Order: sequence, then structure tokens, then C-alpha cells
Amino acid sequence: MLIQLEGVTKVYEVGTEKVNALGGVSLSIEKNEYLAIMGPSGSGKSTLMNVIGCLDTPTSGSYRLKGQEVGDLDDDELAEIRSAEIGFVFQTFNLLPRMTAFQNVELPLIYSKAHRRTRAERVWGVMDAVGLRDRAMHRPSELSGGQRQRVAIARALINNPSIILADEPTGNLDSGTGEEIMQVFEGLHRAGNTIILVTHEEYIAEHANRIIRLHDGLISSDERGVRGSSLGGPVGSAERV
Amino acid sequence: MEFRETFVSALRTLGSHKMRSALTMLGIIIGAGSLVAVMSLIAGLNQSVTTQFQSVGTDIISVSKFPWVQMGSSEDYRGRKDITMHDSDAIESLPSIGLVAPNIHTRRGMSYGRESMRRVRVSGTTPEYETIDNYAVESGRFLTQFDVERRRQVVVIASEVSEKLFGLRDPIGKDMQIGGKKFVVIGILEEKGDIFGETLDEHVLIPITTFRKAFGSRRSVVVDCQPADGVSMERAMDDIRALLRVRRQVPRDKPDDFAVNTQEDLTASYKQLTGVLYFAMTGIVALALLVGGIGVMNVMLVSVAERTREIGVRKAIGARRRDVTSQFLIESVILTALGGALGIGGGAGIGVLVRVATPLPAATTPAAVGLAVGFSLITGIVFGVYPALRAGRLNPIQALSYE
Ligand SMILES: Nc1ncnc2c1ncn2[C@@H]1O[C@H](COP(=O)(O)OP(=O)(O)OP(=O)(O)O)[C@@H](O)[C@H]1O
Ligand SMILES: [Mg+2]
Repeated sequence: MLIQLEGVTKVYEVGTEKVNALGGVSLSIEKNEYLAIMGPSGSGKSTLMNVIGCLDTPTSGSYRLKGQEVGDLDDDELAEIRSAEIGFVFQTFNLLPRMTAFQNVELPLIYSKAHRRTRAERVWGVMDAVGLRDRAMHRPSELSGGQRQRVAIARALINNPSIILADEPTGNLDSGTGEEIMQVFEGLHRAGNTIILVTHEEYIAEHANRIIRLHDGLISSDERGVRGSSLGGPVGSAERV
Repeated sequence: MEFRETFVSALRTLGSHKMRSALTMLGIIIGAGSLVAVMSLIAGLNQSVTTQFQSVGTDIISVSKFPWVQMGSSEDYRGRKDITMHDSDAIESLPSIGLVAPNIHTRRGMSYGRESMRRVRVSGTTPEYETIDNYAVESGRFLTQFDVERRRQVVVIASEVSEKLFGLRDPIGKDMQIGGKKFVVIGILEEKGDIFGETLDEHVLIPITTFRKAFGSRRSVVVDCQPADGVSMERAMDDIRALLRVRRQVPRDKPDDFAVNTQEDLTASYKQLTGVLYFAMTGIVALALLVGGIGVMNVMLVSVAERTREIGVRKAIGARRRDVTSQFLIESVILTALGGALGIGGGAGIGVLVRVATPLPAATTPAAVGLAVGFSLITGIVFGVYPALRAGRLNPIQALSYE
């Protein structure tokens, strides 16, 4: 089992008030699953993603990633897990503005202490996978929204993570561009990656082969095999992954 | 994260805020600059003073009415009696004293033919002065006992006087006017250079007896002397002091009303002067570095706040605390190192200017540069540590959701 959550809660304390962002979530995710998390605003989707992505630790309950209990780890150990196992894709891209696309994609390799000589080769590899080789030396401000999100995906892929986490990756894109990004994810899934993505849109969620719905910090439904048709759908440049 | 990446990324950020970085560096520039400049000046002073002290001679005791270096208020020196030729004779008769050369001084205009000079130093003295005060004759001869006994109208002139009044002509045997009196030139002195910025080569020497007759005898005499062979400086000085206190009837409970000077007094007061300089410099440098350091800390805190989101992103993609901390620390050190480099450049520039424009041989020493580099780096570390630690400790989720 790749991911195993048991009774995970997350309580935020704001002043004297306590917010139960997650109220006891149990969930197992296997390798090469393509999972969509849905739910109304404030239902705890991002909180769950942060826990799974080791950006945050549960208030109570257990989270095992590849069998390792994450709750006991300190800041730096969490950072190392993020570096090796997790690739994040954000709604707002979160590229560093003063660096080129290439340098943005290379950055995780520097933190994971990849050897300098192999770095460029790997960066070009993922740039090809997202179809951005010819844009590599541009800064984010010189790229379109869709291209920026491709750079962000390339950055998430660069360390060959066990899980790719995407929190509303198409939220800032028009539907056409969003669809192109979804093609990239599909290609990645087909290539064996595990993908978890948060979305508000049913048509985006339908790309996944499992949909979890959250309500007030609890799982209200967990459907599998909703739609396998996209597997036979049009193939984008992500095919090469 | 590797150092090289951190370094390049730090340069990139600083480069994107050039004005802010430059203003922040100002304090460091001033600190490092003044450190290097003052140390260059002191190095120059040291060098010129060493050569100047050599021209005075190490074993000379100079007895005078007032000390070479006056401390305290001028009140303390008022109403002192002159030192007389009789005092000089008495000192000469002390067994612990060797050579003695009484000397008296004034300033007079002088001329030869159409050439003239104003207010040149005229000294009346005896032949012993040549040895005691380190004079060397380039051509002709020095004063003799015979000149003194006969009160001869003869003069030994220093190199500038020879050049200015006689030009290419040979002055020896020529008649010249000093203060309206006629003198025959008998010798020319070797060049002596400057002491404390004043030339020693605009100077003429005449027999002390002639001086008293021509320019008046009511002047305090300076008695330059050396200890007798095998006698220590201290012993000779004590004897002179005891002798003069009796002769001048100084009461037991009163301090000397005369001065017994040695080169050591000069060295001591010089040390005091450079001590004051060092003290002032330490103050300036400490203040500038403090101000600069606070500026650096402020800018780094602003930078951390501005880049909160960036820090969140870096952490999300695998940066550990120390990766983020070292990134900001290196940035602040680059800032101060750059400021230090500019300051060192400026300070060394001031040193060069002083050397070119003044007689002071100012020189930038490796020690000064090393010190400035050290202080700059330390300032960067000390004042950069807090913002850097703060950056490293940021919670990634809060940082990512920072607007
Ligand atoms: N840092 C925090 N401090 C306090 N409360 C928080 C914090 N982060 C989230 N919450 C609260 O936790 C709950 C779940 O938030 P979360 O961001 O997970 O929702 P979401 O499902 O991602 O919503 P959206 O669809 O709007 O992104 C919300 O009520 C939110 O106000
Ligand atoms: Mg959210």
C-alpha cells in the first residue's frame, strides 16, 4: 500500500476557536491510482492534500507513506520525503519569477542533491515530456498560463516522485487549456504515476478512475472505476513520459 | 543545497534590487573604508616618523626651557627662567656628561646678490653640534672652536639655502647677508629632509658667540648633550636634573621648571597620538558597522517577508530548513562582502591620494585589508543570522498561502 490514512484529523486553532478541517479520514491509495478529491469549499480538500504531501502532519490518527509513519517525523525529515516522494502542482503555478523555466524545473534536483552532470539531461527529459523544450530558457512571465502549468508539472516530475499532488491545477486556466493539462496528467498516469488531484469540476474529475467526496472534513463517498473511457482518449504530448 | 547554486541565486536576488542593495551596503562601505583609510594613514605616519626619529639620534639629551611635547595648559609653563650659557657650562662639567652643544635659535632674512629668503632658521652653536645632532657636511667644513672663540662671521648653510641663494654657483668663500650682517660661507650641509612636515634644509648655522653678539644674548639656551662613555641615559638625565634644580633654586615640593627631552618623549607622544587615532577609528568603524549591520538585518527581514511565498514553494519541493537559512545567510554575507570590497577600494584610494598629495607615505597594508574583510563578513553573518533563521523556520503551508 502506497498511502494509508487511519482516522486522520486536523484541527486548526484560531484564537480560542477550533476548526476541525479533517474529522477522521481513513483512506488507502495504491500505486498508479488516479484519484480525484471533490467537495464544497472549506470541506478540507487542501488540508487533506497537505497531509498526504507531508507539508503538514495530522493532529491525530495515523498516516503511513510506503509503510512509514509520517506523524513522528521532524521538519527536515518531512522535507526529505517531499523531495524524494512528492511532486506538487499548484493552482497558481508557484514558479519562481526570477528563474527561467529550466532553472525552476532544476531546483528540486538541487535540493535532492542530484549530481550536477546528470541534472541538465533530466531537466531536458521532463521538458520534452511536457512539450516545452523550446520554451525552457524563458521566464514564467514570458509564458502562457498553460505553459506555466506545464513547467510546474515538469518540476513536480523531476525527482520521479511516488505521488503527484495537484490542488486545482486547472483552476486558473480556461477550459481548453485545462483540458490540455488534463491530457498531460493522463499521460503521466498511463506511464505508471500515482496522481491525486483536487477539483471543483465534474468533467475534470471524470478523468480520474476514483473519486472521493469530502464533506465537513469527512469522506462522504468513494467511487471507483467511474470512467475508464479516457484511457482510450486522445493522447497528448505527454505520451512520451 | 550546493553552495554554488545558493550563491548564484543570492546574486540574482540582490541584482534585482540594486538600489536597495546599494543603500544597505553604505554603512559597511563607510566602516570598511574608514578602517582601511585610517590604517593606511597610520602605516604612513609610522614610516615617516621612524625615519624622522632616526634623524634626531637616539642618545641625545636636549635640555630646554620648555618640553618638546607640551602637556597640560600653557599656564604651567609661564614665568620660567631662561637657561643660560652658565647652565650649559655647568652641565658640561658634570662627570656623567660627554659632549655638550649649547644652541640658540632665531629666524632672519638672508640674501646673496639679488637672491633672498625670508625668515630662515638661524642657529648659533658650537662644533660639538655636528656630532650630537647628526649633521653631515657635504662640502667645505663645519664650525670650529676657533670660529667660536674669535666670534668669526662665518656660516654653514643647509642645502635649500645653498640652492635658493647660490643656484649653480659654489657658495664656499662667498659673502652673504644674514639679518643685515655679512657672513662668509664655510660649509654646506647634506640634505636632511622633513620632520613633521617641516623642512630641515632651510637652516644656517653660525658660531654661538657670533650669534649672541649679532642677534642678542637674551635668549634661553638649548643644551644638547650626550652621556659620557659608559654612562646610562637615565643616570645622565638624573644628574642634569639635580644640577639644574639647585642652580635654579626649585623648591623640593615643586616640579622641574625646565625640560630634559629625549627621543623617547617623542616616541611616547607619538604612541599617544596613534593611540587616539586607533581609538577614534575603532569608534567610527564600530558605529558604521553597527548601522550597516542593522540596515542589513532590516533589508533581510523585508526580503524574507517579500519572499514568504517563494520560501513556501522551495520547502514544498524539498528544501530543508538549513537550505533556506543558508540561502538568506549567504545573501546577507554577499551584501556585506560587496560593501566591504567597495569600502576597501575607497579606503585604499584615499591612501593613494594622501601619498600623492601630501608628504605622508600612506600605505594600505594586508593587515588592514584582512581586518576590513573580516569585519564585513562577520557583520553579514551576525546581522543576517536572525532573518535567515526566521526564513528557515517558516511553516510551508502558511508560507504558501501568504498573500
Ligand atoms: N491555516 C489555517 N488556520 C485555520 N483554519 C484553517 C487553516 N487552513 C484551513 N483552515 C480551515 O480548515 C477548513 C478546510 O480548509 P481547506 O483549505 O482544506 O478547504 P478546501 O476544501 O481546500 O476549500 P477550497 O475549495 O475553498 O480550497 C476550512 O474551514 C478552513 O477555514
Ligand atoms: Mg483548497
